[in-house]
Amino acid sequence: MTPQADRQMELTLPMVPDIEIAAARAAGNLGREMGMSVEDVDEMAHAVVEACINAREHSCCVDQRIYLRFRGTSPDVQTLKVEVWITDNGQGFNLDEARLRRRGSSNNGPKKRGWGLQIMEAHMDEVEISTGDKGTTVRMVKYGEKKL
Amino acid sequence: MSDELKLAVERRGDGAVLYTKGYINNVGGEEIANRSYELLDAGVTTLLLNLKETKIVNSIGISILIEIIEKMMEKGGRLGFCCLTPVIQKTFQIMGLAQYASIYADEESAIKDLGLQKS
Repeated sequence: MTPQADRQMELTLPMVPDIEIAAARAAGNLGREMGMSVEDVDEMAHAVVEACINAREHSCCVDQRIYLRFRGTSPDVQTLKVEVWITDNGQGFNLDEARLRRRGSSNNGPKKRGWGLQIMEAHMDEVEISTGDKGTTVRMVKYGEKKL
Repeated sequence: MSDELKLAVERRGDGAVLYTKGYINNVGGEEIANRSYELLDAGVTTLLLNLKETKIVNSIGISILIEIIEKMMEKGGRLGFCCLTPVIQKTFQIMGLAQYASIYADEESAIKDLGLQKS
């Protein structure tokens, strides 16, 4: 069987309130076009929302832009794969500190903020973060099952 | 954007059902909180949030829902959620919200369990 052609898309979005919805819709459209299940598409959309919010809230970048790249492939006859790269040109952050912070919780009840990374990891199959003083890129992968 | 949250309220005895439609972000979460606190001040002790028309949430919006749960608990009230999408329910579980509030598959079972009678 001929492998499904790659589907790619790039977006540059301004860091304005609720712009994460545009990014989530783009991810969702690609996932649906690839034939992913509703739940897989929905999980990917929620992960993209969190990644964009982190970029908007914490990157402190001068250009106030989020750069997104989406790539949908079909690595074999049964599998669908959507990769998403979410990049900002901000000041980066200390990933180890962020991971430590997320383990901390208040003694007075549930921890309220700082769940973005955990939500991304729970909803996606792979999450990789590269960060430095020139910016941050979050690469996330969602696999789905192809309907035969 | 067009996913701005819309809220509708139905009073049921000393409780109320809040119906959400749209994105629960910081603004939507604050709107739910404000409406919930108004209802608390008006004597409501049990709240049910029906999220049937909400397909996307973010962690900031959920953090505000956690604040509402805490306030309800402080005042001896109860808060429940119903009609969540599987992904929203999973997100609630991740953030620990499910430990502090009841989650129901549908409105009928929520109303029965929470004792929300029609006024």
